[in-house]
Amino acid sequence: MKRHIRLLRTAVVGGASLALTLSLAGCGGSGDGAGGDSDTIRVLVYGDATNKVEKQLVDTFNKTSKVKAVLDTIPGADYQSKLQTIISGKQAPDVFFNWGGGSIKPFVDAGLLMPLDDFIAKDPKLKSDFLPSVFDTAVVDGKPYGVPMRGTQPVLLFSNEKVLEEAGVTAPRTWDELLAAVKALKAKGVTPIALGGGDKWPTQMWFQYVYDRVAGPELFAKAVKGDKDVWASADSRKALGMLKELIDAGAFGTNYDSVKFTDGGSPALLATGKAAFELMGSWEYSTLQDAYPDFVKSDLGYGAFPAVTGGKGNGDNIAGNTNNFYSVLKSTEHPEAVAEFLKLMYSDEFVKAQLAIGNLPTTTNTPKFLDTAANPEYSKYQYDLVKKAPAFQLSWDQAFPPAATTTLHQAVQQFFNGQSDADAFIAAMQSLPAA
Amino acid sequence: MTPATGVGRPGFAWAAPAAVFFGLFALVPLLLVVVLSFTRWNGLGSPEFAGLENWSKLLDDPVMVKSLWLSLVLTVLGVVVQTPISILLGVWAAGHQRNRAVLSAIYFVPLLLSITAVSVLWRAVLDPNFGVPSQATWLFGDGNLFGVQASALGVLVFVSTWQFTPLHTLLYQGAARAVPQVLYQAAQIDGAGRVRQFFHITLPQLRNTVVTSTILMVVGGLTTFDTVLILTQGGPGTDTTNSAYYMYQKAFKSFDFGTASAIALLLVLVASLVSLVMVRLSGYDKMRSTMEGV
Amino acid sequence: MRKRPNYLAGFGSLVWLFVVGLPLYVMLVATFQTRTEYAANGPLGFPENFTLDNYVNDLNDGFAQYFLNTVVVTVAVVGIVLLLVPPLAYAIVRSDGKAAGRVFRLFLLGLAIPSQAVIVPMFYLINEAGLYDNLLGVILPTAAFAMPVCALILTGVMRDITSELYEAMTVDGASSWRIFLQLVLPLSKGGLSTVVVFSALQAWNGFLFPLVLTQSSENKVITMGLYDFQTEHGVDIPGLLAAVVLSMLPILFVYLFARRALVQGLMGVGGK
Repeated sequence: MKRHIRLLRTAVVGGASLALTLSLAGCGGSGDGAGGDSDTIRVLVYGDATNKVEKQLVDTFNKTSKVKAVLDTIPGADYQSKLQTIISGKQAPDVFFNWGGGSIKPFVDAGLLMPLDDFIAKDPKLKSDFLPSVFDTAVVDGKPYGVPMRGTQPVLLFSNEKVLEEAGVTAPRTWDELLAAVKALKAKGVTPIALGGGDKWPTQMWFQYVYDRVAGPELFAKAVKGDKDVWASADSRKALGMLKELIDAGAFGTNYDSVKFTDGGSPALLATGKAAFELMGSWEYSTLQDAYPDFVKSDLGYGAFPAVTGGKGNGDNIAGNTNNFYSVLKSTEHPEAVAEFLKLMYSDEFVKAQLAIGNLPTTTNTPKFLDTAANPEYSKYQYDLVKKAPAFQLSWDQAFPPAATTTLHQAVQQFFNGQSDADAFIAAMQSLPAA
Repeated sequence: MTPATGVGRPGFAWAAPAAVFFGLFALVPLLLVVVLSFTRWNGLGSPEFAGLENWSKLLDDPVMVKSLWLSLVLTVLGVVVQTPISILLGVWAAGHQRNRAVLSAIYFVPLLLSITAVSVLWRAVLDPNFGVPSQATWLFGDGNLFGVQASALGVLVFVSTWQFTPLHTLLYQGAARAVPQVLYQAAQIDGAGRVRQFFHITLPQLRNTVVTSTILMVVGGLTTFDTVLILTQGGPGTDTTNSAYYMYQKAFKSFDFGTASAIALLLVLVASLVSLVMVRLSGYDKMRSTMEGV
Repeated sequence: MRKRPNYLAGFGSLVWLFVVGLPLYVMLVATFQTRTEYAANGPLGFPENFTLDNYVNDLNDGFAQYFLNTVVVTVAVVGIVLLLVPPLAYAIVRSDGKAAGRVFRLFLLGLAIPSQAVIVPMFYLINEAGLYDNLLGVILPTAAFAMPVCALILTGVMRDITSELYEAMTVDGASSWRIFLQLVLPLSKGGLSTVVVFSALQAWNGFLFPLVLTQSSENKVITMGLYDFQTEHGVDIPGLLAAVVLSMLPILFVYLFARRALVQGLMGVGGK
């Protein structure tokens, strides 16, 4: 009997403390949530240096709009993880940054995103004011789901011209010239090509280009749709063979898997003359400008990826991030306000602000302002490159859905460091989920 | 002569708030993990029942088996490397000399840094081109520490050792100071040297501390995560992908929450098996004071 | 009998000093250099143009806010643990019912639940409770996962209070409350300081819970600040290391002024 009474007391005390905990929790929660939903749209972007432009645009928008925009950022590496975990919950943003392609495919499949057809019908400029090759990256199953909102980022072959000169090498226009350059640079004792293999995606850039040059953009286009045979094709094996030849020639040195781009390792190799080339996205320029302004002024070179003689891919094809996009949640309470906000993405103010910080927008009015860019010459070069490119290959890890990223990155790394051969690489690629 | 039961003794109510709190934030999630491990879920929409699919996939997954093995290797290496260093340093620091006190204070510093800070720091220090390896090629060769499995694992073990040795040193220092001095005096009269004293008196007296320290190391070792995420990201390839990191990768990189939950459960099973064995061995679960029997 | 100096131990201690000191040296000198100088100088070189910019930039970048958040989390976690665990340990040691023993076994099991294992449902629960991206959402699970070790430590200490002392008070007709306040707590001081130190370190070092459960910079803790620093400022090693130094300053401060208590507390983790 006594025991029962004690149990009862237990339950009461326990219940009371639980209630206390929960009510505390409740206070914290509601305090934060209030005001979040009513008259605001929440804009979620990838946290980095470009955020100041996004802040500026949000301020511009808020000056005239009754519904206010609130900017949230999630820094770097975890953006996609965080996005996927919050997008179907209470914390979901109204508008969010993404890379188009596979990065939004799962959300489209889950019925979370709003097709932008209606917005475009009301304001055709939301489509017609952007370069088509870029706009199409965010078209999923025939419907547009994104408006370009930053700069285009093609991958270029950067070089240290002083080092090239000392080794008697010029910027390579063909694969054979690249191999010859590697040999000459190695003889000079420099690492021919800097590679941030620790990050894995820089390694992937080499696959993207070599596959494109050898097999043309069609191979990957089929692969990403789920055609597994293309990976075992003769073209695929030829591309892998060429990569292998380059690796075995010592083009990347031996310690590239301990080097990262993200901690500044590989750009520093290029800038300090310890390496001659680096294949990197166009952001390399501003990265170097920040850390090594003198080097950028005097010795930084850049150019397109070498052509492959006899390959099916056009030498003018490029690869990289076509742009970033704003996509809209179907459940947003303020679609009109969101549409107004998106219109800013082709405004003169947007273009000028992006150019000023070294980004290259892909709107049709961009050429007007190229002279105002932080680095006019570099911006013009890129704009022409993107405009005349017959195909713009979206980075592999963005084209596939996020679930494929880990396997993809491991596969490219293991092929480079010799842990796996062509057959193992092909098998790994065949195991990827289709977009 | 036993006191009347119940009088002046605390009832279960004293334990209830803690039990409820712990249940809510640790056991309920654990139950949900069990449920999730039988579902297919990518975080969007609701989980679908998948039966044993995740489990059968895992058993066929070479990376899973490898990751368990790597967890084990990291744990064992951690214990094997840290224990002797901490015992020696701890016993040494137990001496009351001035210089020992000063050095001990410096040894303590790594513990003031968070695991994140330590990992970030070592990543910079070990950079092959701009870190210490570039200055000591006789030792590090081309400095490809993170590109080869053996050295990548070595770095992980070393970094944990660097950070946690001060903690274990302190444990041993405290224990060594508690060893009754009469034992040493007796040994000296018998003419036992320093080494003999260490092995015949100090070590046996530290037995209980060895158990505590080892439990902490094992639990820490099995769940190594922050260092892997920041230093190696499980690479090269999957060569440092331990179970904890593999689980994180499956959940938050591949968005396969079902499989991730199954891995999580495996991790819990292994960890509870290990700690059960150790708790049994140490007699922690016996209601027995360490004072008894003295 | 005079002791002769132990040369071998002396040598060993210097080797360890080198192992501990080298990275700390690299860290400190790097923080007083510009990026360009650091790349040119190598990790061991001494700064020629001494600069404090790295620290100033970091502080302007929000590290002050991260400190504050970390302190809030730490204090709250320690508070919850101190409120809940001592009564628990007391019940485990002195209760005559079976229930308390079972609870103890549950907590021992809890030792083996790594926080990673429950992170997925934890995210779900915290999100449902409306605590996502809220410091409370980090505090509650962190406190829960600090409890098993704290319970272990405190039960160990409380068992060492001899039953004669308990009986003496019981004979006087003392209630369990009085015994707890007047006997158990005062005699567990050592264990309590250990518990404070342990749970504070758990909170201070917390990584996975903040990583998954918070996102905005207003709710960032120091460990997240450091982690994010890498992706936001890519190439800035000196700035990053300055942030590392900043992250340890508060604890260094505590260490300098309360070294004895801190060290004693940590020694206590090992029990006897």
